[in-house]
Amino acid sequence: MNAAAIRIDDLAFRWRPDGPLCLTLDHLAVDAGKSLFLHGQSGAGKSTLLNLIGGVLLPERGRIEVLGQPLGQLSGAGRDAFRADHLGFVFQQFNLLPWLSVLDNVVLPCRFSRRRADRAGDPAVAARRLLAALDLDATLAGVPAAELSVGQQQRVAAARALIGRPEILIADEPTSALDTARQDAFIDLLLAEAKAAGSTVVFVSHDERLAVHFDQKFALTAGAPA
Amino acid sequence: MSALLRLALASAWNRRLSLGLTLLAVMLAATLLLSVERVRQAARDGFAQSVSGSDLIVGARTSPVQLVLYSVFRLGEATNNLGWDSYQKIAADPAIAWSVPLSLGDSHRGYPVLGTTPGYFVHFHYGDRQPLRFAAGVAFTGIFDAVLGAEVAQRLGYRVDDRITLSHGDGGLPGMEHEDKPFTVTGILAPTGTPVDRTVHVGLAAIEAIHLDWIGGAPVPGFAIGAEVVQKFDLTPKTITAFMVGLHQRGEVFRIQRRINQFADEPLLAVLPGVALDQLWQTVGVVEQALQAVSWLVLAVGLAGLMATMLAGLNERRREMAILRSLGAGPRHILFLLMLESGVISLLGCLLGLATVTLFAAFGGGLLADFGLAALPLAVDAAEMKLLGGVLVCGLLVSLLPAWRAYRLSLADGLIPRS
Amino acid sequence: MLRRCLLLLALLVPLAVPAADYRVGDRLPAAKGAAKGFKEIQWDDLMPKGWDPMAAFKGVDLNRLQDSDPKAAELLAKVRIEWDKAPVEPAINGQRVKIPGFVVPLERKGDEVIEFLLVPYFGACVHVPPPPSNQVIHVVPSKPVKGMRTMETFWISGTLTLQGGDSGMGVYAYRMNAERVEPYEVKQGKKR
Repeated sequence: MNAAAIRIDDLAFRWRPDGPLCLTLDHLAVDAGKSLFLHGQSGAGKSTLLNLIGGVLLPERGRIEVLGQPLGQLSGAGRDAFRADHLGFVFQQFNLLPWLSVLDNVVLPCRFSRRRADRAGDPAVAARRLLAALDLDATLAGVPAAELSVGQQQRVAAARALIGRPEILIADEPTSALDTARQDAFIDLLLAEAKAAGSTVVFVSHDERLAVHFDQKFALTAGAPA
Repeated sequence: MSALLRLALASAWNRRLSLGLTLLAVMLAATLLLSVERVRQAARDGFAQSVSGSDLIVGARTSPVQLVLYSVFRLGEATNNLGWDSYQKIAADPAIAWSVPLSLGDSHRGYPVLGTTPGYFVHFHYGDRQPLRFAAGVAFTGIFDAVLGAEVAQRLGYRVDDRITLSHGDGGLPGMEHEDKPFTVTGILAPTGTPVDRTVHVGLAAIEAIHLDWIGGAPVPGFAIGAEVVQKFDLTPKTITAFMVGLHQRGEVFRIQRRINQFADEPLLAVLPGVALDQLWQTVGVVEQALQAVSWLVLAVGLAGLMATMLAGLNERRREMAILRSLGAGPRHILFLLMLESGVISLLGCLLGLATVTLFAAFGGGLLADFGLAALPLAVDAAEMKLLGGVLVCGLLVSLLPAWRAYRLSLADGLIPRS
Repeated sequence: MLRRCLLLLALLVPLAVPAADYRVGDRLPAAKGAAKGFKEIQWDDLMPKGWDPMAAFKGVDLNRLQDSDPKAAELLAKVRIEWDKAPVEPAINGQRVKIPGFVVPLERKGDEVIEFLLVPYFGACVHVPPPPSNQVIHVVPSKPVKGMRTMETFWISGTLTLQGGDSGMGVYAYRMNAERVEPYEVKQGKKR
């Protein structure tokens, strides 16, 4: 029984059956509770890999196991449910639904997943706690998300990704839109909360300087295995 | 699922301006479609039920449609009158069971006046062979008695024993009043939903009496014959406008009709009311169909707007869709959401359109009275439900394209749109 | 867009009202309908044997007669007198029959017809001599009929009765309380 939260073997993916291979990967494993720094140039297939781990896409060849569950064995609806239950996401920008309040944005995953709602206890309470832990003022809870600064929005997104303590947290360039000064602070907050929740973190970025924060490091190069 | 629905609602509310405008367009189209259908139906029913039980209507030779229009609906005017002698000769035919003469031309405060005999109240039927009933009072007996239709009495506030005066022609010009010869209301008819409601009925003799001292359509100055004196004169009419005929055997109608049409003494026309109404309806039918076609075009325009709005908004909503996907929605949920949005707009548009038409039917009925129609029906009938169903289906079909596009985009974008 | 065009077209097609391709004076061909307990009869069966309304025309070459010829008017008058007599065939009283013809709606209730006349030929009320009263059936259907317009063709099935009027002339006419009123359609490829 291995403790790999994510395990990928012999992966190959192409968008069109007659097109070129856009991603190949020999082997990648992340242990539970650890953090992985995933880097590569743009076009190397980082987004595709995230989509594959998220169960949105299926590979042409290879095996992806998340939390011991081979994704290829699940149906489309099954993968959607799996994603809702076990994965939290933070994107580079526009993470939030601008017309919902901050609090409503954070509790969204609990509305879509019974499991996460149960693990959160009282979603509103858990949301407020997370917002506080991420250094956000309590008065912001009722504000429409569109009125927040980018930095604040990213931290709200982190709260949303963490609510209900999903086993896996995926962050796709979440600091790229932030000033350099704030980037480290954000990463520290994120990793601290993730550790407290016991979540595995996959952090994607093109900026190798940030790699120091993370347990593991993996480089993606276009088309060929690292 | 309900989380998704609540999100969809919030998302739509966020875009309420553009969605609201397309809703307005669909609502207007639905209103137009329903109105055309409802007026068409009411007009058809109203026309069809205006006269019943008469085998023939006879007047001076003109077109059949025109004869029916002025004799039954009091619309338009007769081009000519027919002679009393001719009427007597024809009515003497043994195949004829009853006949009722009609004399038109005068009015009372905008309502047409009909000169006829008491037989009118016995033989005139409407709708499904319904006879005329009196809500109050009785038919006329004396020369200057009048029987009012239900609407005349209600609108002008008349009761039995009130006095009224008639006007010559449609009463628009001053000096055209017959004020020296007032009439007494002896009876008021129950509502029928036909032009009878808008008519003031008097005896044939009365029509003669009020025109005794008129020559050529105008009163002669200095020459007045008072009301008390008229009895001394012979008040048999010289001409009448038209007459209704009932036969002993309905199957004889063609033979009698032919006989009247070939009457040697003067040119006459006899029509079967049902056939003339059919002819009228065919003419009107073309207009009807054109109106319907226009209504459907308006709907097409409204739905095109809906589709354009949805397609244009898709790009902006790709982020929204990616977020939903990251939360666990699948591409089919996205498809469903878009079709739901369009379906709800179409449904709301239909319901609001129906509400508008119902309101109009409830409060705008007066407008139609001028055209001889009674009130519009308030209830929805099967044909209208089918129309609304059609609008709904069109709305859903129209959403297929944007929904499909959203589905494909969502598949391609996954969690990270490349916009 | 294409979808909507097709939808519009589909809606407009019924508007092209199909016209009955009959000319004045046309009679219905002897098409056979399923009888089901009704005896199918022809219009001639409604006239008593031996009565020939066209007797006045015997020996006259109609083609050589002008409309304005006084002889023509005289003939027409003679025919009319004959036709006015129009005796009925008593044997047919009470029989359950089925007969096709052209309709003349008399009374309507909304869009439905509740009383009509059935005549043997097209245009019976306009350009040709009117049918004699033994060639007219006064029909009251058991159920109101939808979609009936003047001069359309229908089968009627029911019990034919004779009715006397009170005209004192002893004129009788045919009447039927029709149990079934069905549209009459000439099937394609049938020989006329």
